[in-house]
Amino acid sequence: MTPALRLAILRHIRLPSRASELYQPISALWFPLNGRRRDLSSHGGYHLAREEVADRVLAVVKSFPKLDPSKVTTDSHFQKDLGLDSLDNVELVMALEEEFKLEIPDMEADKIESCSLAIEYIFNHPMSG
Amino acid sequence: MASSLRGVARVQPNSKTLEEARSRTFDFFKKACRSLPTVMDIYNLHDVVTVSQLRSSIAAQIRKNINVTNPKVIDMLVFKGIEELTNIVDHAKQRHHVIGQYVLGPEGLDKDLGMQDQGSSHFLKRFYETNYF
Repeated sequence: MTPALRLAILRHIRLPSRASELYQPISALWFPLNGRRRDLSSHGGYHLAREEVADRVLAVVKSFPKLDPSKVTTDSHFQKDLGLDSLDNVELVMALEEEFKLEIPDMEADKIESCSLAIEYIFNHPMSG
Repeated sequence: MASSLRGVARVQPNSKTLEEARSRTFDFFKKACRSLPTVMDIYNLHDVVTVSQLRSSIAAQIRKNINVTNPKVIDMLVFKGIEELTNIVDHAKQRHHVIGQYVLGPEGLDKDLGMQDQGSSHFLKRFYETNYF
């Protein structure tokens, strides 16, 4: 009786398996992202969120030594609102290039004249990271 | 990097307008900014200066000539800038040249102290700095 009961119980009991949670591929031990999946392609897949782009652009602009950080908002125009000249403008664009690891062509770089335009351009750029 | 700059260093014809000279200046400034990471690596500058400080230093040197309106003179200044940049990127200079010229600036180590020569007159202090005053 007992062995038959035991068999019947064992056939019906299902415990959730935890083995798959515990298992990590061996590459996870040395991979710096700690086992998270990561696309190896540099474009597509992961893309910067708009808020993150905005925060980082504002941080770069605020760290520019010649202007007052409290005046910087998303809408501020570099030359009209923040009192910069054209050379400062180019310098800021270069700082943004460095921050987002981009190379902005001259035609587009000339058009980036305010924080909102910079955010828009960088957000739409497929290679910004 | 060095070879790409060498192509630019070929003497271009003169700028026809002030606007063209102006855009050449900006092109030079961008080229200099984009080569800054290489410069930081070549001269091992990571512990003395940041890329943004060097960028401001280049901008300050360009801004010194902000009142020049002759396109030929601007072309000449840009050419000298490209020459200097090519020399730096080609590692024709040594670390102390770069630090002395672009990190410390013309005043060198004297500027941050304000302690020395306290007894000397205002005239003498200015005389040591420059005789244009």
